[in-house]
Amino acid sequence: MEAIQNLIQGFSVAASPLNIIWMISGAFLGTVLGMLPGIGPSTGVALLLPLTFAMKPETALITMCAIYYGAMFGGSRSSILLNVPGDGAAVASCFDGYPMARNGQAETALAISAIASFIGGLISTIIFVFLALPVARFALKFGPPEYFALMVFALAATASISKEALLKGLLSLLLGLMITTVGIDLQSGVHRFTFGVMELQTGIDFVVVIIGIYGIGEVFKNFETIGSAGARAIQSKFKRIWITMEQWKRSIVPILRQTPVGFLIGVLPGAGGTIAAMMAYNNEKQLSKEPERFGKGAIEGLAAPEAANNAASVGALIPMMTLGVPGSGTTAIMLGALMILGLQPGPLLFQQHPEVAWGVIASMFLGNIVCAIINLPLAGLLVRVLSVPPRILYPLIVALAFMGVYTINFSVVDFYLLVIFGIIGYFMKKYKVPTAPLILAVVVGSSMEQSFRQSLMLSDGSLKIFFRSGISVVLLILAAVSIIYPFLSDWIKKKRQRISSGI
Amino acid sequence: MIVGIAGILVGVVYSIQALQLPKATIGNPWAPIYFPAALGILMTAIGIVIVAVELSKGRAADKGKGKDRGDRGYVKLILGTIIICIFYALIFDRIGFIVSTLLFLGGILFLINGLRAWKMNTAITAAFTFGIWYIFEKILMISLP
Repeated sequence: MEAIQNLIQGFSVAASPLNIIWMISGAFLGTVLGMLPGIGPSTGVALLLPLTFAMKPETALITMCAIYYGAMFGGSRSSILLNVPGDGAAVASCFDGYPMARNGQAETALAISAIASFIGGLISTIIFVFLALPVARFALKFGPPEYFALMVFALAATASISKEALLKGLLSLLLGLMITTVGIDLQSGVHRFTFGVMELQTGIDFVVVIIGIYGIGEVFKNFETIGSAGARAIQSKFKRIWITMEQWKRSIVPILRQTPVGFLIGVLPGAGGTIAAMMAYNNEKQLSKEPERFGKGAIEGLAAPEAANNAASVGALIPMMTLGVPGSGTTAIMLGALMILGLQPGPLLFQQHPEVAWGVIASMFLGNIVCAIINLPLAGLLVRVLSVPPRILYPLIVALAFMGVYTINFSVVDFYLLVIFGIIGYFMKKYKVPTAPLILAVVVGSSMEQSFRQSLMLSDGSLKIFFRSGISVVLLILAAVSIIYPFLSDWIKKKRQRISSGI
Repeated sequence: MIVGIAGILVGVVYSIQALQLPKATIGNPWAPIYFPAALGILMTAIGIVIVAVELSKGRAADKGKGKDRGDRGYVKLILGTIIICIFYALIFDRIGFIVSTLLFLGGILFLINGLRAWKMNTAITAAFTFGIWYIFEKILMISLP
């Protein structure tokens, strides 16, 4: 009941005219940015981040959430119409979405992806409402050692999605943590890695790192294909974007089944929209009586991943808002933005700033409705954005990135840093080093070091403190498991193959 | 392989720098150093593991990589953009926002689209520069150099 009361209060915050205007603008901008190939939710939120500096915290978070799920809605448009996913989470939408468009069912495909996204987002927001308070209350028991263990787990899980990527993920993670050690050490006043540059004393702003890696790095990577990605022919005339009763019946069960799956994957650190969508697609294919239809334009093959990736994007907000530890690149950026505004997300957010916490949750209900409107009746109009040639788009993104970075400190030093991180981001993408661990590390790095050192002060320098409470032991074990697991599963697979080939 | 070597290099240089950091004058003198030193050593170790893993895979896998496609035009684009960005940082405070941004965005657009599309390039550059200037100066009330 308490949750419902809080939620009603939240609606009064979310429904203020200013918040509604920003929510609609955020959803609109997010949808448009999400549609553009190569620009996903994280790049979208990163590029638009400077917009929020002048806002009140709740408005800022409402806007960023709207950009986030707007981008999740929009990401599938280019999957369906061009077979080019807007981001990783929309890859699974290509499998059946594009064949549907080729079969002359573009309207149905656009409609079901928006409907599935809407239902997925709505149901997971309801789950969010009931889960937020218990998780936040539990997290109140956390002291510095538990927080340190939790951050180790979140970082380890993000770095270890696959065995191939694990080592590179760890490298990316360590690089991120190294970036956070630049500047004056808050506890001792020692200058670390400032090389005599005055602007570096306050540390490297993570916004610069984020915009450099996602914005500039992404543009450089896209330069590789800019020659071949000429003008794309795109369907711009649509009949009514809607579905039939029969199609609805086919899709509703997969949507309802895969929403909780997506939500759960979103809550776990590391995994995210991409894995949620892939898993939902494979689940439905296995459950289907006619799996041979998948990949040839099966409507449930599009509905399931669309519901799951939106559910995952809502789920990913749980650790960020209730624990103050983000589980993905995008939520790390949002956490960082809140810190800039002087708010520390985490369990205390629900006690000290309920208007922010519940206002944002309430806004997600309204935002989903806004996104559904943007993506159903207006979809035909919006997809024309896809015909903007990349040759114009990318230079504008570079210029926007510079403007955004300038608003942080009004310092040209950030321009140089932006270029450096753009180059780092480009090479990371080129050599397939995952960037999410770095972003996560840059955002939580200094609080991680602080809680590590606070713990050591509490224990007079003994590392045993991290093994004293059950919570931190469990979290550290989970961190170890998430690093060892990819190796273990690989080893088991090989062993099984050997046994089966031996017989 | 390159990633591993880069990891080792960054790790070693960073570790050396970390160990040379000034000690704290209050509390444990090594307190500001533990965390960075651990990061540097871990990074070096992971770099070595990556190189070792790549070496153990053998060179068979490397052979396929030799066939890089002829399209190398993007290197010119990336390098050109980087140079224009650095130039922008150098002139921004000296000659002011409007002139430097016109040169900056115009430079990148001409670099990518060539001289033939000069009408479009000029129009976009001017629209963006004056648009941003208007938003900053008149709406956000932030004065630009």
